[in-house]
Amino acid sequence: MTECKGDIDCRGAVQKLWDYLDEELTPERMDEVRRHLERCGDCLPHHEYGRVFLAALSSARRADARAPDALRRRVMDSLRAAGLST
Amino acid sequence: MDDRDRAGGQPPPSPAAGTNDEDGRLVPQMTASANTAREDDLRFEAEALPYIDDVYRFALSLTRDAADADDVVQETFLRAYRSWHTFQPGSDARRWLFTITRNVFLRSRERERRHVDLEDGDLEALSSFVAATDQGRDGIDQILSRIDLGPALRRALSELDEPFKSAVVLVDLEDQSYEAASEILGVPIGTVRSRLFRGRRILQEKLMTYARDAGFTTAQRGQRGSKHD
Repeated sequence: MTECKGDIDCRGAVQKLWDYLDEELTPERMDEVRRHLERCGDCLPHHEYGRVFLAALSSARRADARAPDALRRRVMDSLRAAGLST
Repeated sequence: MDDRDRAGGQPPPSPAAGTNDEDGRLVPQMTASANTAREDDLRFEAEALPYIDDVYRFALSLTRDAADADDVVQETFLRAYRSWHTFQPGSDARRWLFTITRNVFLRSRERERRHVDLEDGDLEALSSFVAATDQGRDGIDQILSRIDLGPALRRALSELDEPFKSAVVLVDLEDQSYEAASEILGVPIGTVRSRLFRGRRILQEKLMTYARDAGFTTAQRGQRGSKHD
């Protein structure tokens, strides 16, 4: 890890990278990290790595994972038995 | 109608029989109550049931077993239906269902939550990136960019232990915010962060193993120099 000039140092930037990628920082903190990444050649690869990793993780979500028809019927049957009138 | 008429004529409507509407028409209370119940049922069907795929996916990720997931889904919707009156109209039904799903899962397993020794999200964040860099980030970069990681990631996710798995699934796969995950899991946001970051680090380590098995990192590390050498 190297130190570089700016509002936050590399350690601070990397500590906030996940929060930054998740867009969970305050606008001021987001700007701090963004400015640091624009200037710091050491931290930018960390950001790129995290971004690609999260994209791959997100794509691992099984969008095709649907509740089986038998389960849907089972849920509806149990709900009707519990009083669902529709 | 005076008291005498009432006494000798038609009996007054009992409280259960109904009330008069603005035009003086008798509206049986049982019918009004039934209408309200039906409206609640219609709202439940319109606002909760469409999330059955999301609940199923979340349950499947928690249980790792299709039959167990079916049980969790059924129990989740039963509980949701029975407590539908507590649901705040206009709030996030998916988040509410996930909370129930998580509780049903924990109850069904009677599993004690594992103690997390380290609850420092900043330290987890730092270590995950540093470890990735020092131990061969290029290896993961290579496989991230070159091949379909879906099956490897899904397998790594299935092997990920609780409580890290729930945090990763909710935030990274189901796009829940830290705050929403905190509410669903019933833990502070700081705990969500530490579990999430550690979960991501464990997944990275599993991918590193995958990369080594695939022959990426050995070749890479042998060819390149490192400023840490």
